[in-house]
Parts: sequence; structure tokens; C-alpha cells
Amino acid sequence: MGGKQLPETMTLIRDNIMQYDNPLAVSAKENAEWAADLHLPKKGPVLFYTGGEYQLLPFMDSLVTVMDIVDPGTPIFGWMMSMRDLVHKSGMAPEKIFASVFAQDKKRFFSINRKAALILKALGYELAYDGENEIYSGALLHELGFEDALGEYAKRVSSFINNSGAKTVVCMSPHAAEMFSLIYPNYGDFPDIEVKTFVEMVHAKRDMLPKNFYRGLVTLHDSCRMAREMDVVDEFREVLDAMNVRYEEPFRWGKWSTCCGGPIKTTYAELSHKLSQKRVDELAATGAQIALLSCPYCLSALKGAKPTNHIEIMDFVEFLAKGYDL
Amino acid sequence: MSTIKENITEYAKDINEASEDERIRTAITRAIAAYRKNLAEALERYPHTPAMAKEVKEIKRAANARWPELLKQASDSIERNHGHAYFAKDAQEVVDIINEIAGGKKTIVKGKSMLGEEIHLRQRLSASGHEVWETDLGEFILQLMDGRPMHILSPSIHVPREQVAEVFSEFFGKEIKPDISEEVMAVREFLREKYFTADIGISGANAVAADTGQITIIENEGNVRLCTAAPPVHIAVVGIEKIVPSFIDSMKVAEVNWRYGQYTAPGYVNIISGPSKTGDIEKVTTYGAHGPHDFHVIFVDNGRSKMIADPVCSDAALCLRCGGCMYECPVFSLVAGHFGKTYMNGIGAIWTAFVDDDIKEAAPIVYNCLRCGRCVEQCPMDIDVPTMMYYLRTHAVDAAKK
Repeated sequence: MGGKQLPETMTLIRDNIMQYDNPLAVSAKENAEWAADLHLPKKGPVLFYTGGEYQLLPFMDSLVTVMDIVDPGTPIFGWMMSMRDLVHKSGMAPEKIFASVFAQDKKRFFSINRKAALILKALGYELAYDGENEIYSGALLHELGFEDALGEYAKRVSSFINNSGAKTVVCMSPHAAEMFSLIYPNYGDFPDIEVKTFVEMVHAKRDMLPKNFYRGLVTLHDSCRMAREMDVVDEFREVLDAMNVRYEEPFRWGKWSTCCGGPIKTTYAELSHKLSQKRVDELAATGAQIALLSCPYCLSALKGAKPTNHIEIMDFVEFLAKGYDL
Repeated sequence: MSTIKENITEYAKDINEASEDERIRTAITRAIAAYRKNLAEALERYPHTPAMAKEVKEIKRAANARWPELLKQASDSIERNHGHAYFAKDAQEVVDIINEIAGGKKTIVKGKSMLGEEIHLRQRLSASGHEVWETDLGEFILQLMDGRPMHILSPSIHVPREQVAEVFSEFFGKEIKPDISEEVMAVREFLREKYFTADIGISGANAVAADTGQITIIENEGNVRLCTAAPPVHIAVVGIEKIVPSFIDSMKVAEVNWRYGQYTAPGYVNIISGPSKTGDIEKVTTYGAHGPHDFHVIFVDNGRSKMIADPVCSDAALCLRCGGCMYECPVFSLVAGHFGKTYMNGIGAIWTAFVDDDIKEAAPIVYNCLRCGRCVEQCPMDIDVPTMMYYLRTHAVDAAKK
């Protein structure tokens, strides 16, 4: 399938998704660790969907770190790739092994899902979560142009959602939300579901949110998918207003938001880092202490940048969790 | 033939290097700030422009859908105006037609044209033995530097005045100070002589009216005015997607084009229908009065008909080349025109794929696009670059199987 024609990172991601339902072959069991003691039902009208995306990022970051250190043209990278083929036969992906060595933020990223579920529960939502069977959204197949694979994968995602009995799917990642609401419906028999982002769910019950728990100044980074594809811009601000949180818009925001650089992280890592740096500088220029966002890929990209002026990059879930003492 | 992986690796080296270039960073940062300010002022002063852009989009969509019919109508109109119209399917045919018109080695002055860049017109004509001079200041600088444009409207956007002074001092054989007025004056003096001794002037066009055969060329420097008026022969090289049904349509296209190109009003709008003529003596129409006695229009396909017929990328042919999207592209802000080939940015990746007709070559640019969609917000034609980019990536993946 053109493996030698395309960059290894691309074929690696495709092959893992198709073989393991996850871009880096992280197992569903591992992805679901965060929910072990929450006892959420597997089926229900409102499905909490992580797609393993927040869980994926420490591994993905580590892979990119490996790529930064190990030039794809070197024998070490070649060895890693040949190992992949061998180890595939035993049902393991060496990328995961390699990546795990470098994984640093696993705890942080995994806990975001847990905090999100607890916040939604506190707002009165009854969530279902089927971690054991949950599969990745397929967004990277779309991003990288693997149309044939995507057609096949759409059926798996469709089947997972049908089995859940969900009428509403709450997506932790705007990339998953885009796939479910805008992309998969073009692939035939996709279930007719209502797709919501975490921000929209919180927005609907913003009057119940804790107030006045943060006295500093924040700014917002709108993710491209959230603002331009999903049209979720005002909701973010209205939630902050409801909690009496002061915010300052960066120079470019909403539909004009500047991309975090994340989408080219696996193909043009160096340029991606520089784009992240530029965006963080835009955010830091507001004078805010915290930049809030609601996208795992933006979080991963921007947290790696070193701002000229100090600013903390924080997922919206993490910020809300402060109000709930989570 | 190189693989997509090899092409991406090679391209990555270039953009990584470009992203370290402080001159590019400084020049583009200034240009972006100026563009946003100028556009905001222009749209505030002329608030009808966004609505007119929507109208132009529909005019151009409908026109592209029947381009063969409009091509014939435009060609007939040009012939009726005592001009000559041609159709060239690719770069070689353009050069063959120009060589036939020239009938030998000639001196040619040329206005800026992206189509000219696309088919490497200056280089091809030079290789045919002609003496060719770019007359747009930015293009002239790049000709001397043997460089390539880094923006479609401001080709030498990445070259600061100090570097221009160095290049000019060497070329003119005298010291040119890094003073922009002095630099402009040096080129003015040099090219003035060329305009009036050249045998042929070549231009592009921003729009062509099928009903009247009139071509419209927007410019600021006045070089196009001289190129198309001083030499005895004027040849316009125009993409088939520039043809619209009527003169009024072409004016709407022009206004939207210059407005989003950040010009409140451009220095000059040239409208040319045919060769220069006079009837002042005994009412006998005589061609070649003060301006050219020969007027030729070469309509060029070079991948455009395939683009227009494409189920996903058809709207890419609506691109006005206003360049506005580039100022909103995060990648462009770091590497300028290195994000592209002749055409730049996301839209440039799409154009590259069609005019070069080689997805493996275009793949590095196609995969460099963030698909962030901010260019769509800026684009007066609302061209859905992210969707087209996904589609082209599927083509790259397919090509990789072969």
C-alpha cells in the first residue's frame, strides 16, 4: 500500500489505526484506566466519547520527540520501523514501547477525561462510557488522506456508536466531533446522532457552574475545528462570563484564530514547533496568566512552546476542575 | 522518479531553513500588519465590496462552467477588434505562438504575470534567444537575483532595501544606496530606454470580457501601461479562467480583485480592446498610431480545464490572485513563498497539483497545509481549501501505491 512511497509516520499511523483501532496501538483497556472507579454504564442515551485522543498525546509527543532525535533517514529509525513489522506479528507495536520510554504527561492527559466526566456528572448529565470497546475517531486517516482506509474504518465507528444506543455523543476532541458530524455522514450508513463538544455541554448548564473561583486574567485559544468547522465560539466566552472569569482576547481569535501548528506535527515537526511558539506568543501578549483551550491536539502543541512572556497553557477541563476542587 | 517521502524530506529542509531566516520573518510580519490595516480601511470605505465578491463568485462559477463557449466568443470579439486570439494547451504552445509572432530574436519587455511565472515564460523566451526584461520592480529585482517570487502580488517581499542596493550596485556598475527612492529611480531610468526600444510588450490580464474582447489589467507602477503601449506589438497571455461574459462583469471582477489585494484604488486599470488606431485623417482607420499596431491574446489552459471539471477542486479556478489568503496563513507567515512553488499557500498547493499535473511533486506542499481554514475566512471567493487539500491527499496516497 505504498509504504515506501510515503513518510513512515503516515503509514505507521494508518496501519496502527486499521490494526489496533488506535494510531499508536494504545489498547482500549489502557485508554479506559481513568474511568475504572467511576462505574459509568456502557450504554445510554448520552455517550461520553474520548476516542483515546487525550490519552494518545503523551505517546504521540514522545514519538515526535523520537523523530526529532532520530532522523527518519538514519539506521536507528529504519530499525525501529523493521521492528514494527516483526512485532506486529506478535500483536504488539514497538512504537508504543519506544514512545512509553519518553512519555511524560501521561497522568495529566489521562486525568482530563476523568475530570471532564466528573464535571458533566456534577452538572446533572447521566453519561455512558464504553471504554473497553471505544475506538479512535479516525480523524488522522482523514487528515492524512487515507480514503480507502477511512471508508472501512467508518463502518467500525458506526458500529461502535450503534451498539452504544446513544442519541447524543459528547466528544472530548473537536476533531472527533468534526468526524462524527461533518465527515462520516458522507460515508453512507452512519447513525443519526446529535454531536456535542464538551464546551457546548457545559454551556447548556452554565448557570450551575461555580463562580468567582479564579481572580486572575485568562485568554482563550479557539481551535480551528471548534471555531471554524463546529462554529463554537461564543459558548466558550459565555461560560467564562457565567463564572465571572475575566478574559482578554488574543490578537487573532474566534473564526480568525491562529492554528496551533499541531496538524503538521507528524510530517513537519520543526515547523510545527515554530508555529506553536508563534501562537503562544500571541496568547501571552494578552498579559493573561492562563491560556484556555479545548482540544487535545492544541494542548499538546502549545504546551511544548516556550513563551516569551510566561503563560500557562491549560485545558478548559483542567480550569473548570479548579472550581470543583478536582 | 523520486518518491513522495523523498520529496517531503527535501522540501522540509527548505522550509526549515526558510523559517530560520530573520529577513523573511521581519519582512512578512510587516507586510501582514500593513495588509490587514489597508484591507480594513478599504472595506470600511467601500462597504459594498463583500456583497460584490459574492456576485463575482457566481459570475466566475457560471463562466468557468461554459469556458469553451466564452473562449470562442472572446476570441471572436478580439478578432473583430482587429486583434488576434490564440489557444495554447500548455507552456510549449505559448512559447511557440510567441516565437511565431516575433519572427526572430527580439527585445521583449514584460509585465508581472503569475501565468508567466507558472510556465517560466521569461526563462523559456530567453532560451529561445530573446532579450527579456521584467518591468515590475519586484520581478526585476528577482530577475537580477535569479530568484523566485515569494508572494504573488509582491514578488520580492522577502528582499530588504539593503540587499536590493547590493544587487543594483553590482548590476548598474555604480553605487546605489539602500534608499528606496534611489533604487526605484535607477530602475526607472534603465527600463525607460527598454520600453521604447523593445519590439514586443508582454502582459497578463486580470479579466477578459467575452462580449467586447476587452482585457483588463490592474497595476500600480505604470510599467504595464508602458509595456502594453510603447512597443509596436503587445501580446497578452491569459488563463482561460479569466474570461467572463460581459464588460461589466470584468469590471466587477477587477474591483473585487484590487480591493482584496489591499488597494483602495489601484494606480492604473488598463483596459485594452485591440491595436492602437486612428481615424483622424479622412476618417480612414489606420492601425498602429501611438500604441502597438499588433495586439495578440493567447488564452492558456495548462491544467485549468481539468481543474474546472474537477468535482472537488473546481472552485479553485475562481482564485482572483488577490493574495489575501497568504497574509492569513500561519505557515506563510514563517516561510513566505517557500510554502509553495509558483503558486503559494493552500490555494497554491491546489494550483501546483493541476498546472504541474504531478501530485507526487505537489505532495510536500499539499501536506504542509495546516487545513486550518483561516484562508477561507479571508478569501473573497470563499474557496474551500481544507476540503480540497484532503481530496488531493487522497490522490497523493493513491499515487504512492503506483
